[in-house]
Formats: sequence, C-alpha cells, structure tokens
Amino acid sequence: MAKAAGAIEVRGTVVECLPNAMFRVELENGHKVLAHISGKIRKHYIRIVLLDPVLVELSPYDLNRGRILFRYRT
Amino acid sequence: MESAQFSAGAPATIGSRALITRVDGTRWHAVEDDRVVGRGEASHRPDGRVFLSIDTWLGAVFDRLAAAMLADLAGPVRTLVDEADHDITSRWERAGLAVRRRERQYLVATDPPATGLDTAPTPSGVTILPLGDADERPLRELYEAIRAEVDAGPGWDTMPVEMPPRPAGAPLGASTYAVAAGADRYEGLARVVARRRHARIGLVAVRAGQRRRGIARALLAEVLGGLHRGGIEAATADVDASNSAATALLGGIGARHVGGVVELGRG
Repeated sequence: MAKAAGAIEVRGTVVECLPNAMFRVELENGHKVLAHISGKIRKHYIRIVLLDPVLVELSPYDLNRGRILFRYRT
Repeated sequence: MESAQFSAGAPATIGSRALITRVDGTRWHAVEDDRVVGRGEASHRPDGRVFLSIDTWLGAVFDRLAAAMLADLAGPVRTLVDEADHDITSRWERAGLAVRRRERQYLVATDPPATGLDTAPTPSGVTILPLGDADERPLRELYEAIRAEVDAGPGWDTMPVEMPPRPAGAPLGASTYAVAAGADRYEGLARVVARRRHARIGLVAVRAGQRRRGIARALLAEVLGGLHRGGIEAATADVDASNSAATALLGGIGARHVGGVVELGRG
C-alpha cells in the first residue's frame, strides 16, 4: 500500500489571515508557516478565522508551507 | 500564475509520472514511486449533491486528478473554491466545471448604534420574540412553510444553508430562533448560533406575503442586540451573491464583505 509522501502533521494556531486564501499559522514549537485550506475542509463549508486552533500538514518539499487539515473546536 | 500551494518547493519533475487510481467509489490517489502525491475525494451530501475536492502540492497532479475524477463520475458534480483562489478556480474550469454561484461571507458588528438598528422600528402587526421565546408548534409550522416556499422556488442548492426536513416530533430547538409573531401565526424567523466569542446568523427568512415590511431588519435588531448584551461583538452571515435583498439588508447595517466561496459545477 502506498503511503503519503512525507506527511508531517502539527497542531498550531492561526495568527494572521492573508490574501489569496492563505493563513499564517504558528505551530506549537513556535515556528510559523504559510498555510492554505485543504480541499476537503473547504468542501464542508468550514470557515477558518483568526486564533482558530488547527491541524496543519507540512509540505514535504518546504517546511515553511502547510495545508490546514482540521479546525479544532474552540 | 500558480497559487502559493503549488509553489511550495516541489521539483518540477515530481508528479509527472504519477499514476491516478480510483481507490474506491469516492476516493482517488495519485501515486508516484510508491508514494501518494495527491488525493481526490467525492462527498455525497444528504440532499444528493456530490462535491469534489483535491489535495496535492503539485499543480500538474491536481489537473490529472481532476480529469480522472470528472471522467469517472457521470452525473452532476460540484466543488467549492475560495473566492480569492483564482488558480484553483481556473484549474477546475479547464477541467470542465463552470462557475454556478458565488457566496459571500459578511461580518457585522452587534453594537446597535454601529448597525443603526437601535432605531429600527418593529413593523405594525408583529411582535419580535427573542431567542428561546418561540412556541414549538407555530415555529415548526413557519419552518415547514419556508421550506416549501424555497423547494417550490429557487431551491436549496442556490442557498448557503439548507433546512433539512425534521422528523415528526423532533424539536427544532427554539433556543436558536428569534421569531416575528403575527396575530395568529409566526411570519418570520432568524436562526443564530453563538459560540464563546463568535456568532453566526444561519438564516433569516420571512413568509413570501410579508416581505418588504422591515420584518427581517427587526429580527436582526433583536438577535444582534441580544448578542451584544451577551458580550459578543460581531457575527458572520453567508449570503448568495445574487440575493440582492439579503446583500442590501446586510449592507444597510454596515456589514463588511470579508470573504467567500465560488461554487463550480457540471450538469
């Protein structure tokens, strides 16, 4: 069975909403990444707003980029 | 220009040899060198609509997944894209989908002087009942009447929200509804869901024969004022961009357009 390409998932908090459907997310280790919303989460009308706690999958090609997979309840 | 998600450092050669396979009835994988480099999924909503999504770091893989999914699925399909993401919108359009509707998200302050709703008059012949004060029976009758009006008219697929049929006897949850009560029935409702620091106006609806009387504005005055008294400073509302009455209502109380989604579809 094929596995996901280097999927690293980290919890973080949305600290800035940027243009072009992007967000700045501060990870639990203090590192900040530029993240977009996954297609799966957008399909379910889930809105992401400032200070939302989220689960981010980091890009295997650039650890400064990520994809928001899940928004935790606040 | 590619969007930021497709410029995340991946070498141009990655994904060029990806094999697209349908894993099961609703999932597709793009696999290269025994690694999944992209995923597609089709979700079936309770009302029968099918929504597609794709997640990959590679633009070329996105295009190939979209083509494979649309070829495999014969019937009508839809997808949602952030209104600011022109790259993904273009990619779905190139794959064969067309923009069907646009939905805007508004942010509105709850402070009555800020919205101007502190002076909103209640229309004659109706009384506005705050959240939780509605009686279940007439609320359900209004709910079913509004459902029927939309079913017979524009249809729920043109709206940001859906009012699902309620099983007989299942409570509607009057605590989330403010209503406009007429002499012998309810004429309009507003549904609000409040969280700790945020609220969402889920629906504002008035019976067809009672519109353009200021009932919706009076309902908003009640629910926004209540939120403000409860310490919530702002609320969001989602509106179909072609719904001129709703956009005028929100624009008239100072709501700001803060984002939105584009719905693309086929069939």
